[in-house]
Amino acid sequence: MRTGAARGQVGHFHEAGFYSSDAEFRALIVPFAEEGIAAGEPVIIGYDDRKNALIRSWLTDLSAVTFPADSGVYATPTRAIAAYRRLFELHVAQGAGQIRITGELPNSGNGGMFDGWDRYEAAVNTVWQDFPVWGLCLYDTATAAPVVRDVVERTHPRIVSPSGVRRASDRFQVVADFEALPPVPDPLEETSPMIELVDRSAAEARRALAQIGRGQVTDTILDDLLLGVSEAVSNALIHGRPPATVRIWAAPDRIVVSVHDQGRGPADPLAGLVPAAGNAATLGLGLWLIHQLDIDVALKHADDGFTVRLRGATTTG
Amino acid sequence: MRIIGPVGSYRELGLQDHLCWVHGDRGDYRPHLGEFFRDGLGRGLRVAYLGSGDARMVRELVGRVAGTGPLRSGKAVRVISFEEFYGAEEPVDPAAVTKRYDAATQEALADGYRGLRIGADMTDLVRAPDRQDAFARCEVLLERYSSRHPLSAMCGYRRELGDAVAQFACLHAAVPAGLTPFQVFACGDGAVGLLGEFDQACQGAFERALRRIEPAPGDSTLIFDLSQIQFMDHHALLSLDSYAEACPVPVVVRSAPPLVRRAARVLGLEHLGHLRLGDL
Repeated sequence: MRTGAARGQVGHFHEAGFYSSDAEFRALIVPFAEEGIAAGEPVIIGYDDRKNALIRSWLTDLSAVTFPADSGVYATPTRAIAAYRRLFELHVAQGAGQIRITGELPNSGNGGMFDGWDRYEAAVNTVWQDFPVWGLCLYDTATAAPVVRDVVERTHPRIVSPSGVRRASDRFQVVADFEALPPVPDPLEETSPMIELVDRSAAEARRALAQIGRGQVTDTILDDLLLGVSEAVSNALIHGRPPATVRIWAAPDRIVVSVHDQGRGPADPLAGLVPAAGNAATLGLGLWLIHQLDIDVALKHADDGFTVRLRGATTTG
Repeated sequence: MRIIGPVGSYRELGLQDHLCWVHGDRGDYRPHLGEFFRDGLGRGLRVAYLGSGDARMVRELVGRVAGTGPLRSGKAVRVISFEEFYGAEEPVDPAAVTKRYDAATQEALADGYRGLRIGADMTDLVRAPDRQDAFARCEVLLERYSSRHPLSAMCGYRRELGDAVAQFACLHAAVPAGLTPFQVFACGDGAVGLLGEFDQACQGAFERALRRIEPAPGDSTLIFDLSQIQFMDHHALLSLDSYAEACPVPVVVRSAPPLVRRAARVLGLEHLGHLRLGDL
């Protein structure tokens, strides 16, 4: 019997499940995948290597199953949204009426960082609406932090249990109402910055950053930070409310930059996660570019204004 | 070797340099023009002052700045009226102007000189906003011509032109430091070189400069050399992409620094755009 999304479901059918053992994980994922395989629907599976191997051993027919080989798909939320959109377009072009996708996002429980993925989980309720996608996000209760569980319940309209019981999440928030997690302050932000620039051009911010950052981080990371700070300062000067303040901190192998203005920041909850619609010269494209770089990006809306924080490190993170 | 990029102070210019010189008034400009001409004469060039006004006054001016005394019949120093090169028609025809520069350069060579050196204060010619586009196109063609022929030029623009100065300055291979964040110059092989920093702050100026660039007649592609770019943001990349889309011949970009390649990849321009990424 078909469960979950009805055949011909239009839009993203977004479910989450929690498991506390491999047996529960199996109970959640095998029916989801097997029903898809039986219905001739493409099934996309993205877990870590150990879980992917388990899944391969449990399924009867892997011919319709895709394990995205590129682990970089989860490098940043923005890149994941774009990569999956391309994959969905491909499947729809090949005639798929329903696409099943399941995976586990980076979080401290699996060795990753959850920062920013809360906005992703909220956004995919909207940004994949053009595709017939059934998404099942599974989280390990033993390792997922309480804050992750909180976000999962607020970003998935439906929760499925290992016994197969489905319920609506009474804590679900549509993307427009979603309260994103505040960025965790970086310890460096509590210290005096190496430099503070007020109402200066993007070029001056780049020069200061290049001077401080050269030798601290790799050239590749420094280039990403330069692209990021330039876009953020341009946005602050054009769309924000003065003064626009750039602060740069440096520690061995690490650079933190904040760009703050006293405006309210972008009202669009999807800002940075997808390209802004319409004119390319809008605020949204710069933020979208920043979010695809190999640096950590955090947006902070507060009473005193809007801040874009960029962090680049020679090591991961 | 041509001077490409910002120059901190006046120094000797070679046979093919194209310099924008920004100054406060003619009194400020003439000493530099004098040095420029004396240096040219020392290099075996014919020097020419391009100007307007009474011919005798102009001759005396040239004599003074060249330090050669009032001119008699020396062929090494010439005075050319603006009308002779730029014509009387409005707007000026950049291709026709370039042909006249070429004819004068070839004549200098035929007369045994190593090339032609021209000094001109362009301020009065470009003061009217509706003339600026045509004169800017002339600068683009002269920049291209001087990159391949022994024509050196010092184009004077007075500060009183205000913001308009930068739109002409950015079309010269050599400019005073701090005047424009970017330059569009001619490479010796016909490519269009981009130099400096291209971001949102100079977006309008860059798009205006791009509008003045056309493929050379008969060229099957237009190549942009990006090797001298220090920074380029997504606004500038998209402007370049739009330019490529509208260009009548395919546009190829080459030698993009890692930061530019990075931004282009993130924007998806390498697959979806109208730029052909040459030897990336």
